[in-house]
Amino acid sequence: MKLFLQILLIATSVLLIGAVLLHRGRGGGLSSLFGGGMQSSLAGSSVAEKNLDRITLGLGAVWIISVIGLGLLLKI
Amino acid sequence: MLSAFRSALATPDLRKKILFTLMVVAVYRIGAVIPAPGVSYPNVQACQAQVENQNIFSLLNLFSGGALLQLSIFATGIMPYITASIIVQLLTVVIPRFEELKKEGQSGQAKLTQYTRYLTIALAVLQATGVIALADRGQLFGDCDQPVFPDNTVATLAITVLTMTAGTAVMMWLGELITERGVGNGMSLLIFLNIAAQIPAEGANILSSQGGLVFFFVCILALAIIASVIFVEQGQRRIPVQYAKRMVGRRMYGGTSTYLPIKVNQAGVIPVIFASSLLYLPDLIGRLVGDPNQASGWQRFLQTYLVDQSSWVHIVSYFALIIFFTYFYITITFNVDERAEEMKKFGGFIPGIRPGRPTAEYLSFVLSRITLPGSIYLGIVAILPNFFLSLTGQGQNQNFPFGGTAVLIMVGVGLDTVKQIESQLMQRNYEGFLR
Repeated sequence: MKLFLQILLIATSVLLIGAVLLHRGRGGGLSSLFGGGMQSSLAGSSVAEKNLDRITLGLGAVWIISVIGLGLLLKI
Repeated sequence: MLSAFRSALATPDLRKKILFTLMVVAVYRIGAVIPAPGVSYPNVQACQAQVENQNIFSLLNLFSGGALLQLSIFATGIMPYITASIIVQLLTVVIPRFEELKKEGQSGQAKLTQYTRYLTIALAVLQATGVIALADRGQLFGDCDQPVFPDNTVATLAITVLTMTAGTAVMMWLGELITERGVGNGMSLLIFLNIAAQIPAEGANILSSQGGLVFFFVCILALAIIASVIFVEQGQRRIPVQYAKRMVGRRMYGGTSTYLPIKVNQAGVIPVIFASSLLYLPDLIGRLVGDPNQASGWQRFLQTYLVDQSSWVHIVSYFALIIFFTYFYITITFNVDERAEEMKKFGGFIPGIRPGRPTAEYLSFVLSRITLPGSIYLGIVAILPNFFLSLTGQGQNQNFPFGGTAVLIMVGVGLDTVKQIESQLMQRNYEGFLR
């Protein structure tokens, strides 16, 4: 069980990082951080982006579950 | 004010955005207390209680909203993103290719953001490894002897590193979701939250250790500091710019007179972050090299003069570094030649000054003059907490409520978010928050 969860965790972590990196970056980095300029991005998200959102959400859910599961299993 | 709140919630799309933001925030805060796999939760709690008030990682911990010292899945938090953005922004000056991309406009900017995201993940791996190595060697918590990782084989630790890196990626995604579908800039909003999440604990700390009367005065003082920070943040010099009238086809363009706003504090909190991370280096090196009990001469020298936050050498060098970095950062981000060139291209000029090089010279003159009070203000706000160390204790000084990085970021982000909500309200002609 523990081994299974660990493998699941590794797999979802890597996939999650990949999925997030595949997203189109929003927000213009630091220039808009900490109250820089105001910018409005009204460009709607594409279908691909929407599907990617769903995939990321699913991966995130599995990831959280495996983290919590591991934590409960170890119970230390 | 209250009616503005009501109309903000009465507008359907704005209400949806605000609720979405709140939901993401809730998800993030729940994640911030889930311990990373392999970490022993009770031992971490015990250690944390021991070292409450003395650790060098206060800035990192501040940015992670206490998640770092909990060793939660969001322990590395937003810091890699901040570092990556700073690095990418500095590289635009150094690498010609980056400069090209920056000038390209929207698509180039998108590419730069993408680079920032890749760099964030790389830095997250580094930082997670560093944090976990320190925690495993028992140095994260000072002298705590309870094992944080009961099962510290390489495989377990590697999984923890991987999980924390994925945590940073998730945080980045959450921030982008807020930017895209919620209100305000997601990344800065998350930082804001991290800082705000620590205020109640700080307040309780002061209340229990110093009593009610001191707590009351602290609250008054904090409000006064916030008010003055808002006052300076909003201050700007408006350089008038006149645009020449011109006919294109049958339509007339220009002929308007606008202004070029130059804020008193054009640099934001970046100089403070630069300066404080630079000043944390000596302490970090000292810790990595050897244990502080049998320190050699230069280590003791560093300890008394640079690390000790109440020493005058520390305060003065912090102040000087902030002023230097303010000027440095402004020269990088605000390119006067570019602005002057742009103005000339669109037929604009500052009354009484010829377009082209004289305009650039005038701009840089005004900029450097207005930055002097701005940088001194930044320095004062940043060193203010060093004078209240007896109340807050060593290491906690960058936190609320006496100023420092926390107040600067909170006020900056707060103002920005309110302005964004305001502009959305204005589209529907409602009375806003700001007057």
